[in-house]
Amino acid sequence: MNETEYRELMEASWRRPLTAAEEARLQAWLAVHPEAQALWESELSLNHLLEQLPDVPVASNFTARVVQAAQREAAQPAARSFLQLVRQWLLPRRATGVAWAALAVCVTWFAVHQAESNTKARRASELVVISRTAVLSDPVVVEDFDAIQRLPYAEDEELFAVLNK
Amino acid sequence: MTERSDPDAALMLRVREGDFDAFEQLVEKYKQPVMNLVYRTLPDATEAEDLAQHVFLQVFKSAARYEVSAKFSTWLFTIARNLCLNEIRRRSRHPADSLDATFPDSEDQPMRQVEDAKAVPAPDSVMRSELEDKIEEALSELPEKQRTAILLCRGEEHSYEEIATILGCSVSATKSLIHRGRETLKQLLKPYLRTGEWKEK
Repeated sequence: MNETEYRELMEASWRRPLTAAEEARLQAWLAVHPEAQALWESELSLNHLLEQLPDVPVASNFTARVVQAAQREAAQPAARSFLQLVRQWLLPRRATGVAWAALAVCVTWFAVHQAESNTKARRASELVVISRTAVLSDPVVVEDFDAIQRLPYAEDEELFAVLNK
Repeated sequence: MTERSDPDAALMLRVREGDFDAFEQLVEKYKQPVMNLVYRTLPDATEAEDLAQHVFLQVFKSAARYEVSAKFSTWLFTIARNLCLNEIRRRSRHPADSLDATFPDSEDQPMRQVEDAKAVPAPDSVMRSELEDKIEEALSELPEKQRTAILLCRGEEHSYEEIATILGCSVSATKSLIHRGRETLKQLLKPYLRTGEWKEK
């Protein structure tokens, strides 16, 4: 017998008493491995202790009560089918609700996406205007713009007349 | 696994056809081991019995979906363990609620009739009872998986493969759980292991 077989015998002893043949093999192993003797004895002691665990008391009418409860359960097909009907009625409505909610989420997402696209497009067009402004002529050209703007229209005509001479 | 190799599976197939006698036979056969497991997971005799009853009702309700793919007892103890775990979870969320809140139909049933075996303890049974209490106490200190593995391992009802299925882990993990649990038990019960007190009782 080797170490593995010894372990297998020990695991077998957790579930059941060893057979005479197994016991003999084990004793032969322990004779040449005295260091394993203490462990084996403690295993055996624990097995004995666990064997002593008593059965928990069960009510004498336990079986009768369980069978009665099962018979009651079986005798309620009407109530159960009503519940099933309610479930059948609720489930499609629940599915419809889920579908509406999914649609609402999609519409909201589309609206938000569109608003963001519009904002981006507007900002892009504003950037184009700014970039165009960057290539305007020297600001000195419009230095007297305000003064010229304030000149009365009549004076302009007079000026044109002078210039046209 | 077929109903021929597992007579309980054959009974369960009869339950599926609405045979209450077959159901009664299954309850009668398994009430004690189920009760032992449930009580040692939820250490309250009344609530453990309500839960054990619910385990069998669950078996009855699930009969229509039952298929002979595993040993009946493996299926039964998987249901029992799952219901115990649900109850532990429920208690942690609603500690003040009794089990009747979970299984309200249990109130409509006849009173329990438990033989009071410990009503008048004989003097020589006092020490045995004390030792049993110590073993129960030590078991209750183990993590749930280790305790369940050790309890299912006791006796020859379940193979390691079946215990592994009930616990939802591999066979090697199951053996490891049992080994660790047993090591803890040895530590907790050291005085009793050393003196061999159990042997005299």
